[in-house]
Amino acid sequence: MTENLLSLLQLCDSNFPTGAFSHSYGMETYIQEDQIYDQASFQQWLTVYVNEQLVYSDGLACQIVYAALVEENDERIWEMDRLLTVQNLPRESREGTKRIGERMSMLIESLYDIPLLSTYAKRIQEKRSNGHPAIVFTIVGHHLGVSSESTILYYLYSVVTSLVQNAVRAIPLGQTAGQQVIQQFQPTLLDAVEKIKQIEQDDFGIVSPGLELAQMQHERVGIRIFMS
Amino acid sequence: MVQMTGELQMNLEDKQGRTIAKDAYFQGALKVMRPIYLSKSGQVCYYILNPGGGYLDGDRYKMRFSLEKQARATLTTQSSTKVYKTPTDHAYQETEIILKDGSYLEYLPDPLIAYRGAKYKQKNIFRMDRTSMLLYSDIITPGWCPDGKHFSYDLVQLVNEFYLEDELVVFDHLKLTPSNQQIHGLGFMEGYTHLGSMFVIGEKVDNSLLDRLYDAMYEKTDAYQIGLSKLPIPGVAIRIMANSTQVIERLFSTCHTLITSEWFGTQPSFLRKY
Repeated sequence: MTENLLSLLQLCDSNFPTGAFSHSYGMETYIQEDQIYDQASFQQWLTVYVNEQLVYSDGLACQIVYAALVEENDERIWEMDRLLTVQNLPRESREGTKRIGERMSMLIESLYDIPLLSTYAKRIQEKRSNGHPAIVFTIVGHHLGVSSESTILYYLYSVVTSLVQNAVRAIPLGQTAGQQVIQQFQPTLLDAVEKIKQIEQDDFGIVSPGLELAQMQHERVGIRIFMS
Repeated sequence: MVQMTGELQMNLEDKQGRTIAKDAYFQGALKVMRPIYLSKSGQVCYYILNPGGGYLDGDRYKMRFSLEKQARATLTTQSSTKVYKTPTDHAYQETEIILKDGSYLEYLPDPLIAYRGAKYKQKNIFRMDRTSMLLYSDIITPGWCPDGKHFSYDLVQLVNEFYLEDELVVFDHLKLTPSNQQIHGLGFMEGYTHLGSMFVIGEKVDNSLLDRLYDAMYEKTDAYQIGLSKLPIPGVAIRIMANSTQVIERLFSTCHTLITSEWFGTQPSFLRKY
């Protein structure tokens, strides 16, 4: 393992304080409705969430942003920041993601000196950009010289580990069950990276009806431990 | 240039409190019926019709509606949009809608019915002025097939782009490919067959309107599932999953009634269809 990959791993730690801890992206709605209640039902939701929503939004955005970084096409990055935000129709998920993106950009600024990231953080402060963790993560991956493919893989992994930790607390699941999900999910993540390589840019922002509806319904969920 | 199967362009303007067509152009398999004034408000209603009766392999449709300042219109279809089997090339429809200051549009097409083996793509582009208002809805049915099997179409892809003063502010993208999705499963249609979407956009949309819409439309029931959420601009997105067109239409009509009474102090007119 290269030293740089180790640096990127720091961002994947579910203790990395980005606020992802507070967001379930609709999972909590399913938990309240008893549709997610154990390891298997959680894993089923996670699979659909990654394959039918995340790859078309964050995943595809990582790939496009990485290419834009290589081409030094900053405008394309700001455009992806806008697209990621405007395609996210459920308010809580959209606002939560923005907050995570903003927090993460500030945290990274205190760890690395990446001029483009500083520009992005400044744009977020000035409300010219929204902020998105997939963009911050990709900027760091590219800066560290990690490949596009690995950057996408580690980004997806970071999302999955956060969601697993959240599921462990909320369903609840045992810590062992949580680790089993993460381990069993590895082939799914590798497949997701392959899928992202195949999908067309025109497929950006595809959502799956049930997932999105649950994200919208979360606003009205009675007892909540998550903000989305 | 691509040969269009059907083209329709209309420019609507307000003339002393009555909305009229300043100019209209149509060719091929798209037409509009004569304007109807369903109330005294001056709001015009046009029925769009597809004389061919349905969309076929490789068909291309293009519509453009422009509402000048203060114009008020309802656009609907005469009947459902049927997309037949497309063995070689998908059918495609693109609609561009331009709403200038103070204009109001209700664009409420009938449900989409994609037949077995159909591939259909649709793109709506809404270009709005900050003071314009829009109510848009669509309904995707599980399609039609001789043996009654649901979801036997190959592809239904709907894209809605909303621009406010030239800036993309909402992007909606649904792509259903039932043969390689667990269409009935968790995260997809979750046992429901019909999917409705509605967008309400206008300066007057606020949290209190969202709450009232929610109170009027939400019910704890297995008959449908509804989600409402505020957009990044003043507006609301609504999604409904149900088992019939009627259930979704009833909910949309509840929303429509509430919006027109809030915004104009009027009741919506009943859209007669035979």
